[in-house]
Amino acid sequence: MDWGRLQFFLGEIRRNFTRNLIMQLTAIGTVTVTIVLLGAFLFTRQALTRIGDDVLHKIEISVFLKDGASADATKALQAKISADPRVAGVVFISKAEGLRQMRDRLQGQIDTSLLTQNPLPDAFRVKVVRPQDVRAVAETIRALPDVASVEYAHDIVERLLTLSDVFGKIGLGVVVLLLFTAAIIISNTIRLTVFARRREIAIMRLVGASGTYIRLPFVVEGLIDGLLGAAIALGILELGRTQLMPKLAVALPFVRLSSTNLEQLWLATILLATGALIGVVASWISVGRYLRA
Amino acid sequence: MIALRDVTLVYPNGTRALDGIELEIKKGSFVFLVGHSGTGKSSLLRLLYREQVPTHGEVTVDGVRVDRLRRSRVAQLRRSVGVVFQDFKLLYDKTVWENVAFALQVTGAPTRDVMRQVPRVLDLVGLSHKSRMFPSELSGGEQQRTAIARALVNNPKILLCDEPTGNLDPANTNDVMELLHRINLKGTTVVIATHNALVVDRMRRRVIRLENGRIVADEERGYYHATSGTADADVALARSRNGLGTATVLPG
Repeated sequence: MDWGRLQFFLGEIRRNFTRNLIMQLTAIGTVTVTIVLLGAFLFTRQALTRIGDDVLHKIEISVFLKDGASADATKALQAKISADPRVAGVVFISKAEGLRQMRDRLQGQIDTSLLTQNPLPDAFRVKVVRPQDVRAVAETIRALPDVASVEYAHDIVERLLTLSDVFGKIGLGVVVLLLFTAAIIISNTIRLTVFARRREIAIMRLVGASGTYIRLPFVVEGLIDGLLGAAIALGILELGRTQLMPKLAVALPFVRLSSTNLEQLWLATILLATGALIGVVASWISVGRYLRA
Repeated sequence: MIALRDVTLVYPNGTRALDGIELEIKKGSFVFLVGHSGTGKSSLLRLLYREQVPTHGEVTVDGVRVDRLRRSRVAQLRRSVGVVFQDFKLLYDKTVWENVAFALQVTGAPTRDVMRQVPRVLDLVGLSHKSRMFPSELSGGEQQRTAIARALVNNPKILLCDEPTGNLDPANTNDVMELLHRINLKGTTVVIATHNALVVDRMRRRVIRLENGRIVADEERGYYHATSGTADADVALARSRNGLGTATVLPG
Protein backbone atom coordinates (compact mmCIF):
# COMPACT_ATOMS: atom_id res chain seq x y z
CA MET A 1 0.00 0.00 0.00
CA ASP A 2 1.51 3.32 -1.04
CA TRP A 3 1.42 6.51 1.00
CA GLY A 4 -1.54 8.05 -0.83
CA ARG A 5 -3.70 4.95 -0.30
CA LEU A 6 -2.75 4.79 3.37
CA GLN A 7 -3.60 8.46 3.76
CA PHE A 8 -7.00 7.96 2.12
CA PHE A 9 -7.71 4.95 4.30
CA LEU A 10 -6.72 6.69 7.55
CA GLY A 11 -8.87 9.65 6.50
CA GLU A 12 -11.87 7.34 6.10
CA ILE A 13 -11.31 5.88 9.57
CA ARG A 14 -10.93 9.32 11.15
CA ARG A 15 -14.13 10.43 9.41
CA ASN A 16 -15.97 7.42 10.81
CA PHE A 17 -14.66 7.94 14.27
CA THR A 18 -15.42 11.63 14.61
CA ARG A 19 -18.84 11.47 12.93
CA ASN A 20 -20.63 10.16 16.03
CA LEU A 21 -18.39 11.22 18.85
CA ILE A 22 -21.04 10.88 21.56
CA MET A 23 -21.89 7.35 20.49
CA GLN A 24 -18.20 6.49 20.29
CA LEU A 25 -17.77 7.70 23.87
CA THR A 26 -20.78 5.61 24.93
CA ALA A 27 -19.29 2.54 23.33
CA ILE A 28 -15.87 3.16 24.84
CA GLY A 29 -17.48 3.79 28.24
CA THR A 30 -19.42 0.54 28.08
CA VAL A 31 -16.30 -1.40 27.22
CA THR A 32 -14.50 0.33 30.09
CA VAL A 33 -17.18 -0.64 32.62
CA THR A 34 -17.28 -4.19 31.30
CA ILE A 35 -13.54 -4.63 31.35
CA VAL A 36 -13.23 -3.10 34.83
CA LEU A 37 -15.79 -5.59 36.14
CA LEU A 38 -14.16 -8.43 34.22
CA GLY A 39 -10.78 -7.40 35.59
CA ALA A 40 -12.09 -7.12 39.14
CA PHE A 41 -13.67 -10.52 38.79
CA LEU A 42 -10.56 -12.17 37.42
CA PHE A 43 -8.44 -10.47 40.06
CA THR A 44 -10.71 -11.54 42.90
CA ARG A 45 -10.83 -15.07 41.58
CA GLN A 46 -7.08 -15.10 41.33
CA ALA A 47 -6.82 -13.93 44.94
CA LEU A 48 -9.45 -16.42 46.13
CA THR A 49 -7.70 -19.26 44.38
CA ARG A 50 -4.42 -18.21 45.91
CA ILE A 51 -5.91 -17.95 49.41
CA GLY A 52 -7.68 -21.26 48.95
CA ASP A 53 -4.51 -22.89 47.73
CA ASP A 54 -2.59 -21.54 50.68
CA VAL A 55 -5.14 -22.90 53.13
CA LEU A 56 -5.79 -26.15 51.34
CA HIS A 57 -2.15 -26.93 50.89
CA LYS A 58 -1.65 -26.68 54.62
CA ILE A 59 -4.27 -29.36 55.16
CA GLU A 60 -2.84 -32.70 56.12
CA ILE A 61 -4.32 -36.04 56.87
CA SER A 62 -3.42 -37.35 60.30
CA VAL A 63 -3.17 -41.13 60.32
CA PHE A 64 -3.07 -42.75 63.78
CA LEU A 65 -1.71 -46.24 64.01
CA LYS A 66 -2.92 -49.14 66.16
CA ASP A 67 -0.96 -49.46 69.36
CA GLY A 68 0.64 -52.77 68.68
CA ALA A 69 1.88 -52.07 65.16
CA SER A 70 5.39 -53.38 64.65
CA ALA A 71 8.21 -51.27 63.22
CA ASP A 72 8.20 -53.39 60.03
CA ALA A 73 4.44 -53.00 59.62
CA THR A 74 4.78 -49.26 60.13
CA LYS A 75 7.49 -49.05 57.47
CA ALA A 76 5.41 -51.13 55.06
CA LEU A 77 2.39 -48.91 55.68
CA GLN A 78 4.40 -45.73 55.06
CA ALA A 79 5.71 -47.18 51.81
CA LYS A 80 2.22 -48.16 50.74
CA ILE A 81 0.78 -44.70 51.42
CA SER A 82 3.72 -43.02 49.67
CA ALA A 83 3.14 -45.17 46.61
CA ASP A 84 -0.28 -43.54 46.03
CA PRO A 85 0.19 -41.03 43.18
CA ARG A 86 -2.24 -38.61 44.85
CA VAL A 87 0.03 -38.37 47.90
CA ALA A 88 2.70 -35.68 48.00
CA GLY A 89 4.51 -36.79 51.11
CA VAL A 90 4.32 -38.88 54.28
CA VAL A 91 6.04 -37.97 57.52
CA PHE A 92 6.30 -40.43 60.39
CA ILE A 93 5.72 -39.03 63.83
CA SER A 94 6.52 -41.38 66.64
CA LYS A 95 4.72 -41.42 69.97
CA ALA A 96 7.61 -39.53 71.57
CA GLU A 97 7.85 -36.96 68.77
CA GLY A 98 4.08 -36.46 68.91
CA LEU A 99 4.19 -35.78 72.62
CA ARG A 100 7.03 -33.30 72.22
CA GLN A 101 5.12 -31.43 69.53
CA MET A 102 2.03 -31.36 71.70
CA ARG A 103 4.02 -30.02 74.63
CA ASP A 104 5.36 -27.23 72.46
CA ARG A 105 1.93 -26.38 71.18
CA LEU A 106 0.18 -26.41 74.53
CA GLN A 107 2.98 -24.82 76.50
CA GLY A 108 1.64 -23.07 79.60
CA GLN A 109 -1.92 -24.19 79.03
CA ILE A 110 -1.78 -27.60 80.66
CA ASP A 111 0.93 -29.20 82.68
CA THR A 112 2.14 -32.17 80.59
CA SER A 113 4.59 -33.18 83.27
CA LEU A 114 1.61 -34.70 85.06
CA LEU A 115 1.38 -37.39 82.37
CA THR A 116 2.71 -40.63 83.72
CA GLN A 117 2.74 -42.32 80.32
CA ASN A 118 2.52 -41.24 76.68
CA PRO A 119 -1.15 -41.47 75.57
CA LEU A 120 -0.38 -40.77 71.93
CA PRO A 121 -0.19 -43.39 69.21
CA ASP A 122 2.39 -43.46 66.43
CA ALA A 123 1.17 -41.37 63.52
CA PHE A 124 1.75 -40.29 59.92
CA ARG A 125 1.14 -36.84 58.53
CA VAL A 126 0.09 -37.21 54.90
CA LYS A 127 0.12 -34.37 52.38
CA VAL A 128 -1.85 -34.72 49.17
CA VAL A 129 -1.03 -33.25 45.76
CA ARG A 130 -4.49 -31.82 45.05
CA PRO A 131 -6.76 -30.61 47.87
CA GLN A 132 -9.77 -32.17 46.11
CA ASP A 133 -8.31 -35.62 46.76
CA VAL A 134 -8.11 -35.24 50.54
CA ARG A 135 -11.32 -37.13 51.24
CA ALA A 136 -10.63 -39.98 48.83
CA VAL A 137 -7.05 -40.45 50.06
CA ALA A 138 -8.22 -40.39 53.67
CA GLU A 139 -10.81 -43.09 52.97
CA THR A 140 -8.23 -45.25 51.20
CA ILE A 141 -5.86 -44.99 54.12
CA ARG A 142 -8.61 -45.70 56.64
CA ALA A 143 -9.11 -49.12 55.05
CA LEU A 144 -5.43 -50.11 55.40
CA PRO A 145 -4.33 -52.56 58.17
CA ASP A 146 -2.83 -51.21 61.37
CA VAL A 147 -4.60 -47.88 60.91
CA ALA A 148 -6.58 -46.92 64.02
CA SER A 149 -8.13 -43.69 62.78
CA VAL A 150 -7.81 -40.98 60.18
CA GLU A 151 -8.52 -37.30 60.69
CA TYR A 152 -8.55 -34.31 58.41
CA ALA A 153 -10.22 -30.90 58.33
CA HIS A 154 -12.90 -32.05 55.93
CA ASP A 155 -15.25 -29.18 56.65
CA ILE A 156 -12.77 -26.53 55.65
CA VAL A 157 -11.74 -28.43 52.57
CA GLU A 158 -15.23 -28.96 51.30
CA ARG A 159 -16.52 -25.49 52.08
CA LEU A 160 -13.59 -23.81 50.43
CA LEU A 161 -13.93 -25.97 47.37
CA THR A 162 -17.66 -25.22 47.04
CA LEU A 163 -17.12 -21.52 47.66
CA SER A 164 -14.54 -21.08 44.93
CA ASP A 165 -16.62 -23.22 42.57
CA VAL A 166 -19.82 -21.19 43.15
CA PHE A 167 -17.98 -17.90 42.91
CA GLY A 168 -16.39 -19.01 39.67
CA LYS A 169 -19.71 -19.97 38.10
CA ILE A 170 -21.69 -16.88 39.13
CA GLY A 171 -18.83 -14.59 38.22
CA LEU A 172 -18.41 -16.20 34.84
CA GLY A 173 -22.15 -15.81 34.15
CA VAL A 174 -22.08 -12.12 35.05
CA VAL A 175 -19.00 -11.52 32.93
CA VAL A 176 -20.46 -13.28 29.90
CA LEU A 177 -23.61 -11.17 30.25
CA LEU A 178 -21.54 -7.98 30.44
CA LEU A 179 -19.45 -8.90 27.42
CA PHE A 180 -22.64 -9.52 25.50
CA THR A 181 -24.03 -6.12 26.51
CA ALA A 182 -20.83 -4.37 25.50
CA ALA A 183 -20.85 -6.15 22.14
CA ILE A 184 -24.42 -5.02 21.48
CA ILE A 185 -23.66 -1.41 22.34
CA ILE A 186 -20.56 -1.34 20.14
CA SER A 187 -22.55 -2.99 17.40
CA ASN A 188 -25.22 -0.27 17.70
CA THR A 189 -22.60 2.45 17.59
CA ILE A 190 -21.06 1.00 14.45
CA ARG A 191 -24.51 0.65 12.94
CA LEU A 192 -25.06 4.38 13.50
CA THR A 193 -21.81 5.10 11.69
CA VAL A 194 -22.79 2.70 8.95
CA PHE A 195 -26.15 4.44 8.71
CA ALA A 196 -24.53 7.86 8.59
CA ARG A 197 -22.33 6.57 5.78
CA ARG A 198 -24.96 4.62 3.86
CA ARG A 199 -24.53 6.87 0.81
CA GLU A 200 -20.81 6.22 0.76
CA ILE A 201 -21.38 2.51 1.17
CA ALA A 202 -23.97 2.45 -1.62
CA ILE A 203 -21.54 4.27 -3.91
CA MET A 204 -18.65 2.03 -2.86
CA ARG A 205 -20.70 -1.00 -3.79
CA LEU A 206 -21.79 0.65 -7.02
CA VAL A 207 -18.27 1.39 -8.21
CA GLY A 208 -16.99 -2.06 -7.31
CA ALA A 209 -15.35 -1.85 -3.89
CA SER A 210 -14.90 -5.30 -2.38
CA GLY A 211 -16.81 -6.28 0.75
CA THR A 212 -13.58 -6.46 2.74
CA TYR A 213 -12.61 -2.97 1.66
CA ILE A 214 -15.98 -1.56 2.70
CA ARG A 215 -15.85 -3.40 6.00
CA LEU A 216 -12.32 -2.59 7.02
CA PRO A 217 -12.76 1.02 8.25
CA PHE A 218 -15.73 -0.02 10.38
CA VAL A 219 -13.92 -2.98 11.85
CA VAL A 220 -10.96 -0.73 12.67
CA GLU A 221 -13.44 1.66 14.31
CA GLY A 222 -14.75 -1.18 16.49
CA LEU A 223 -11.21 -2.24 17.28
CA ILE A 224 -10.35 1.31 18.40
CA ASP A 225 -13.50 1.46 20.59
CA GLY A 226 -12.65 -1.87 22.19
CA LEU A 227 -8.97 -1.16 22.74
CA LEU A 228 -9.52 2.36 24.08
CA GLY A 229 -12.21 1.11 26.47
CA ALA A 230 -9.96 -1.70 27.68
CA ALA A 231 -6.98 0.64 28.09
CA ILE A 232 -9.01 3.05 30.23
CA ALA A 233 -10.29 0.09 32.24
CA LEU A 234 -6.74 -1.10 32.85
CA GLY A 235 -5.86 2.36 34.16
CA ILE A 236 -8.82 2.30 36.54
CA LEU A 237 -7.97 -1.21 37.74
CA GLU A 238 -4.33 -0.28 38.32
CA LEU A 239 -5.46 2.78 40.29
CA GLY A 240 -7.76 0.58 42.37
CA ARG A 241 -5.00 -1.92 42.96
CA THR A 242 -2.45 0.63 44.15
CA GLN A 243 -4.95 2.60 46.26
CA LEU A 244 -7.03 -0.23 47.70
CA MET A 245 -4.58 -3.04 48.21
CA PRO A 246 -2.52 -1.50 51.03
CA LYS A 247 -5.73 -0.92 53.01
CA LEU A 248 -6.93 -4.45 52.36
CA ALA A 249 -3.54 -5.80 53.35
CA VAL A 250 -3.90 -4.07 56.72
CA ALA A 251 -7.39 -5.50 57.21
CA LEU A 252 -6.42 -9.02 56.23
CA PRO A 253 -2.87 -9.42 57.46
CA PHE A 254 -2.69 -13.20 57.17
CA VAL A 255 -3.72 -13.34 53.51
CA ARG A 256 -1.21 -13.15 50.65
CA LEU A 257 -2.95 -10.56 48.45
CA SER A 258 -0.43 -9.21 46.01
CA SER A 259 -0.11 -11.01 42.72
CA THR A 260 3.09 -11.54 40.82
CA ASN A 261 4.12 -9.34 37.88
CA LEU A 262 3.58 -12.24 35.52
CA GLU A 263 0.00 -12.70 36.75
CA GLN A 264 -0.66 -8.98 36.25
CA LEU A 265 0.79 -8.99 32.76
CA TRP A 266 -1.31 -12.01 31.88
CA LEU A 267 -4.45 -10.32 33.25
CA ALA A 268 -3.73 -7.11 31.31
CA THR A 269 -3.23 -9.08 28.11
CA ILE A 270 -6.49 -10.96 28.58
CA LEU A 271 -8.40 -7.73 29.24
CA LEU A 272 -6.98 -5.86 26.24
CA ALA A 273 -7.56 -8.84 23.97
CA THR A 274 -11.15 -9.12 25.21
CA GLY A 275 -11.78 -5.44 24.50
CA ALA A 276 -10.33 -5.73 21.01
CA LEU A 277 -12.26 -8.90 20.29
CA ILE A 278 -15.70 -7.56 21.24
CA GLY A 279 -14.98 -4.42 19.21
CA VAL A 280 -14.04 -6.35 16.09
CA VAL A 281 -16.77 -9.00 16.32
CA ALA A 282 -19.52 -6.45 17.01
CA SER A 283 -18.55 -4.18 14.12
CA TRP A 284 -18.01 -7.06 11.71
CA ILE A 285 -21.54 -8.28 12.37
CA SER A 286 -23.21 -4.88 12.11
CA VAL A 287 -21.57 -3.97 8.79
CA GLY A 288 -22.24 -7.44 7.47
CA ARG A 289 -25.95 -6.97 7.97
CA TYR A 290 -25.82 -3.78 5.94
CA LEU A 291 -23.76 -5.26 3.14
CA ARG A 292 -26.20 -8.10 2.57
CA ALA A 293 -29.22 -5.79 2.59
CA MET B 1 -21.90 -7.06 -25.13
CA ILE B 2 -25.28 -7.41 -23.39
CA ALA B 3 -27.72 -10.29 -23.83
CA LEU B 4 -30.93 -11.15 -21.98
CA ARG B 5 -32.59 -14.51 -22.64
CA ASP B 6 -36.18 -15.07 -21.51
CA VAL B 7 -35.66 -12.87 -18.45
CA THR B 8 -38.45 -12.61 -15.89
CA LEU B 9 -38.22 -10.61 -12.69
CA VAL B 10 -40.86 -10.96 -10.01
CA TYR B 11 -40.42 -8.89 -6.85
CA PRO B 12 -41.16 -10.47 -3.45
CA ASN B 13 -44.42 -8.48 -3.26
CA GLY B 14 -45.62 -10.25 -6.40
CA THR B 15 -45.03 -7.41 -8.88
CA ARG B 16 -44.01 -8.75 -12.27
CA ALA B 17 -41.40 -6.12 -13.20
CA LEU B 18 -40.03 -7.90 -16.26
CA ASP B 19 -41.71 -10.62 -18.26
CA GLY B 20 -39.97 -12.78 -20.88
CA ILE B 21 -37.42 -10.19 -22.01
CA GLU B 22 -35.30 -11.12 -25.05
CA LEU B 23 -32.67 -8.51 -25.81
CA GLU B 24 -29.29 -8.13 -27.42
CA ILE B 25 -27.15 -5.00 -27.35
CA LYS B 26 -24.00 -4.88 -29.45
CA LYS B 27 -20.65 -3.55 -28.38
CA GLY B 28 -20.30 0.18 -28.93
CA SER B 29 -23.99 0.83 -29.48
CA PHE B 30 -26.09 3.65 -28.08
CA VAL B 31 -29.49 2.52 -26.86
CA PHE B 32 -32.53 4.25 -25.35
CA LEU B 33 -34.83 2.38 -23.03
CA VAL B 34 -38.20 4.13 -22.95
CA GLY B 35 -41.64 3.62 -21.43
CA HIS B 36 -43.43 5.22 -18.54
CA SER B 37 -42.75 4.80 -14.84
CA GLY B 38 -43.06 1.32 -13.47
CA THR B 39 -42.65 -0.46 -16.82
CA GLY B 40 -39.36 -2.06 -15.76
CA LYS B 41 -36.69 0.23 -17.27
CA SER B 42 -34.82 0.64 -14.01
CA SER B 43 -35.32 -3.02 -13.14
CA LEU B 44 -33.75 -4.01 -16.44
CA LEU B 45 -30.73 -1.76 -15.79
CA ARG B 46 -30.41 -3.15 -12.26
CA LEU B 47 -30.11 -6.65 -13.69
CA LEU B 48 -27.14 -5.51 -15.77
CA TYR B 49 -25.06 -4.31 -12.84
CA ARG B 50 -26.26 -7.11 -10.59
CA GLU B 51 -28.22 -4.98 -8.15
CA GLN B 52 -31.01 -7.42 -8.92
CA VAL B 53 -31.01 -11.08 -9.89
CA PRO B 54 -33.64 -12.31 -12.36
CA THR B 55 -36.28 -14.72 -11.11
CA HIS B 56 -35.82 -16.63 -14.33
CA GLY B 57 -33.66 -16.37 -17.45
CA GLU B 58 -30.09 -15.54 -18.40
CA VAL B 59 -28.32 -12.18 -18.20
CA THR B 60 -24.94 -11.94 -19.93
CA VAL B 61 -22.79 -8.81 -19.71
CA ASP B 62 -19.45 -8.73 -21.52
CA GLY B 63 -19.37 -12.52 -21.70
CA VAL B 64 -20.17 -12.99 -17.99
CA ARG B 65 -23.34 -14.72 -16.77
CA VAL B 66 -24.32 -11.98 -14.35
CA ASP B 67 -27.33 -13.89 -13.02
CA ARG B 68 -25.04 -16.65 -11.81
CA LEU B 69 -22.30 -14.38 -10.51
CA ARG B 70 -21.02 -15.20 -7.05
CA ARG B 71 -21.32 -12.40 -4.49
CA SER B 72 -17.55 -12.11 -4.27
CA ARG B 73 -17.29 -11.49 -8.03
CA VAL B 74 -19.88 -8.69 -8.12
CA ALA B 75 -17.26 -6.04 -7.26
CA GLN B 76 -15.29 -7.06 -10.34
CA LEU B 77 -18.37 -6.69 -12.58
CA ARG B 78 -19.16 -3.24 -11.20
CA ARG B 79 -15.73 -2.01 -12.28
CA SER B 80 -16.51 -2.81 -15.90
CA VAL B 81 -20.00 -1.26 -15.77
CA GLY B 82 -20.42 2.44 -14.97
CA VAL B 83 -23.80 3.62 -13.65
CA VAL B 84 -25.30 7.12 -13.59
CA PHE B 85 -28.54 8.11 -11.84
CA GLN B 86 -31.14 10.84 -11.97
CA ASP B 87 -30.14 12.06 -8.49
CA PHE B 88 -26.37 11.98 -9.24
CA LYS B 89 -25.55 10.15 -5.97
CA LEU B 90 -22.54 12.36 -5.22
CA LEU B 91 -20.93 12.72 -1.81
CA TYR B 92 -21.57 16.29 -0.71
CA ASP B 93 -18.70 16.51 1.77
CA LYS B 94 -16.18 15.67 -0.95
CA THR B 95 -14.94 17.87 -3.78
CA VAL B 96 -15.43 17.02 -7.45
CA TRP B 97 -11.92 15.59 -7.58
CA GLU B 98 -12.48 13.54 -4.40
CA ASN B 99 -15.83 12.22 -5.62
CA VAL B 100 -14.23 10.94 -8.82
CA ALA B 101 -11.07 9.69 -7.09
CA PHE B 102 -13.23 7.89 -4.49
CA ALA B 103 -14.40 5.38 -7.10
CA LEU B 104 -10.79 4.39 -7.78
CA GLN B 105 -9.55 4.59 -4.20
CA VAL B 106 -12.17 2.24 -2.79
CA THR B 107 -11.16 -0.42 -5.30
CA GLY B 108 -7.67 -0.20 -3.86
CA ALA B 109 -6.15 1.44 -6.93
CA PRO B 110 -2.58 2.71 -6.48
CA THR B 111 -2.19 6.48 -6.12
CA ARG B 112 -0.33 6.57 -9.44
CA ASP B 113 -3.48 5.41 -11.24
CA VAL B 114 -5.64 7.90 -9.34
CA MET B 115 -3.37 10.78 -10.33
CA ARG B 116 -3.53 9.71 -13.99
CA GLN B 117 -7.17 8.70 -14.40
CA VAL B 118 -8.96 11.45 -12.47
CA PRO B 119 -7.58 14.34 -14.58
CA ARG B 120 -8.32 12.36 -17.73
CA VAL B 121 -12.05 11.92 -16.99
CA LEU B 122 -12.44 15.42 -15.51
CA ASP B 123 -11.02 16.75 -18.78
CA LEU B 124 -13.39 14.52 -20.74
CA VAL B 125 -16.47 15.88 -18.95
CA GLY B 126 -15.08 19.43 -19.02
CA LEU B 127 -14.78 19.99 -15.28
CA SER B 128 -11.01 20.25 -14.83
CA HIS B 129 -11.35 23.86 -13.72
CA LYS B 130 -13.92 22.98 -11.03
CA SER B 131 -12.19 19.97 -9.50
CA ARG B 132 -11.75 21.70 -6.13
CA MET B 133 -15.40 22.71 -5.84
CA PHE B 134 -18.05 20.91 -3.84
CA PRO B 135 -21.16 19.48 -5.56
CA SER B 136 -23.38 22.07 -3.84
CA GLU B 137 -21.44 24.79 -5.67
CA LEU B 138 -22.19 23.27 -9.08
CA SER B 139 -25.18 23.37 -11.42
CA GLY B 140 -27.26 20.23 -11.88
CA GLY B 141 -25.59 19.58 -15.23
CA GLU B 142 -22.13 19.92 -13.71
CA GLN B 143 -23.11 17.57 -10.89
CA GLN B 144 -24.31 15.01 -13.41
CA ARG B 145 -21.08 15.42 -15.39
CA THR B 146 -19.18 14.75 -12.15
CA ALA B 147 -21.23 11.59 -11.67
CA ILE B 148 -20.46 10.55 -15.25
CA ALA B 149 -16.74 11.19 -14.66
CA ARG B 150 -16.95 8.96 -11.60
CA ALA B 151 -18.72 6.25 -13.59
CA LEU B 152 -16.00 6.41 -16.25
CA VAL B 153 -12.91 6.57 -14.08
CA ASN B 154 -12.61 2.77 -13.91
CA ASN B 155 -12.64 2.63 -17.74
CA PRO B 156 -15.87 0.64 -17.97
CA LYS B 157 -16.93 -0.97 -21.25
CA ILE B 158 -20.57 -0.18 -20.54
CA LEU B 159 -22.22 2.98 -19.20
CA LEU B 160 -25.74 2.59 -17.82
CA CYS B 161 -27.78 5.75 -17.25
CA ASP B 162 -31.06 5.73 -15.31
CA GLU B 163 -32.92 8.97 -16.15
CA PRO B 164 -29.67 10.94 -16.43
CA THR B 165 -31.43 14.17 -17.43
CA GLY B 166 -34.47 13.77 -15.18
CA ASN B 167 -33.40 16.59 -12.85
CA LEU B 168 -31.88 18.88 -15.48
CA ASP B 169 -33.11 21.92 -17.41
CA PRO B 170 -33.01 21.80 -21.25
CA ALA B 171 -29.59 23.47 -21.55
CA ASN B 172 -27.97 21.13 -19.08
CA THR B 173 -29.80 18.21 -20.66
CA ASN B 174 -28.18 19.04 -23.99
CA ASP B 175 -24.73 19.25 -22.41
CA VAL B 176 -25.11 15.88 -20.72
CA MET B 177 -26.53 14.16 -23.81
CA GLU B 178 -23.77 15.61 -25.96
CA LEU B 179 -21.23 14.26 -23.43
CA LEU B 180 -22.82 10.79 -23.45
CA HIS B 181 -22.70 10.85 -27.25
CA ARG B 182 -18.97 11.67 -27.18
CA ILE B 183 -18.34 8.89 -24.68
CA ASN B 184 -20.12 6.47 -27.00
CA LEU B 185 -17.97 7.61 -29.91
CA LYS B 186 -14.90 6.57 -27.90
CA GLY B 187 -16.25 3.00 -27.95
CA THR B 188 -18.21 2.73 -24.69
CA THR B 189 -21.56 0.99 -24.96
CA VAL B 190 -24.20 3.40 -23.59
CA VAL B 191 -27.67 2.38 -22.38
CA ILE B 192 -30.01 5.18 -21.29
CA ALA B 193 -33.38 4.75 -19.60
CA THR B 194 -35.34 7.96 -20.13
CA HIS B 195 -38.68 9.73 -20.19
CA ASN B 196 -37.38 12.60 -22.26
CA ALA B 197 -38.97 12.40 -25.72
CA LEU B 198 -37.06 15.42 -27.04
CA VAL B 199 -33.72 13.82 -26.25
CA VAL B 200 -34.68 10.53 -27.85
CA ASP B 201 -36.13 12.14 -30.94
CA ARG B 202 -33.10 14.39 -31.50
CA MET B 203 -30.58 11.53 -31.23
CA ARG B 204 -32.38 9.04 -33.53
CA ARG B 205 -30.70 5.94 -32.10
CA ARG B 206 -31.96 2.49 -31.24
CA VAL B 207 -35.09 2.79 -29.07
CA ILE B 208 -36.40 -0.11 -27.00
CA ARG B 209 -39.87 0.45 -25.60
CA LEU B 210 -41.06 -1.32 -22.46
CA GLU B 211 -44.67 -1.69 -21.38
CA ASN B 212 -45.73 -3.68 -18.33
CA GLY B 213 -42.41 -5.45 -18.21
CA ARG B 214 -42.44 -6.49 -21.87
CA ILE B 215 -40.60 -5.17 -24.90
CA VAL B 216 -43.34 -3.79 -27.18
CA ALA B 217 -41.11 -2.05 -29.73
CA ASP B 218 -37.45 -2.15 -30.72
CA GLU B 219 -36.38 0.14 -33.57
CA GLU B 220 -33.05 1.22 -35.00
CA ARG B 221 -33.00 5.02 -35.46
CA GLY B 222 -36.31 5.18 -33.60
CA TYR B 223 -38.43 7.92 -32.06
CA TYR B 224 -39.72 8.21 -28.50
CA HIS B 225 -43.21 7.49 -29.82
CA ALA B 226 -42.73 4.25 -31.65
CA THR B 227 -44.12 4.20 -35.16
CA SER B 228 -45.82 0.93 -34.31
CA GLY B 229 -47.67 -0.32 -31.29
CA THR B 230 -48.00 2.97 -29.43
CA ALA B 231 -50.93 3.59 -27.17
CA ASP B 232 -52.63 7.01 -27.05
CA ALA B 233 -51.89 7.17 -23.35
CA ASP B 234 -48.18 7.32 -24.05
CA VAL B 235 -48.58 10.35 -26.26
CA ALA B 236 -50.58 12.16 -23.61
CA LEU B 237 -48.13 11.18 -20.92
CA ALA B 238 -45.14 12.22 -22.98
CA ARG B 239 -46.76 15.57 -23.74
CA SER B 240 -47.48 16.21 -20.10
CA ARG B 241 -43.90 15.33 -19.17
CA ASN B 242 -42.51 17.65 -21.77
CA GLY B 243 -44.69 20.48 -20.57
CA LEU B 244 -46.65 20.43 -23.81
CA GLY B 245 -49.87 19.68 -21.99
CA THR B 246 -51.16 19.53 -18.44
CA ALA B 247 -53.25 16.41 -18.77
CA THR B 248 -53.39 14.58 -15.48
CA VAL B 249 -56.32 12.35 -16.35
CA LEU B 250 -55.29 9.93 -19.04
CA PRO B 251 -57.76 8.63 -21.56
CA GLY B 252 -58.63 5.02 -20.86
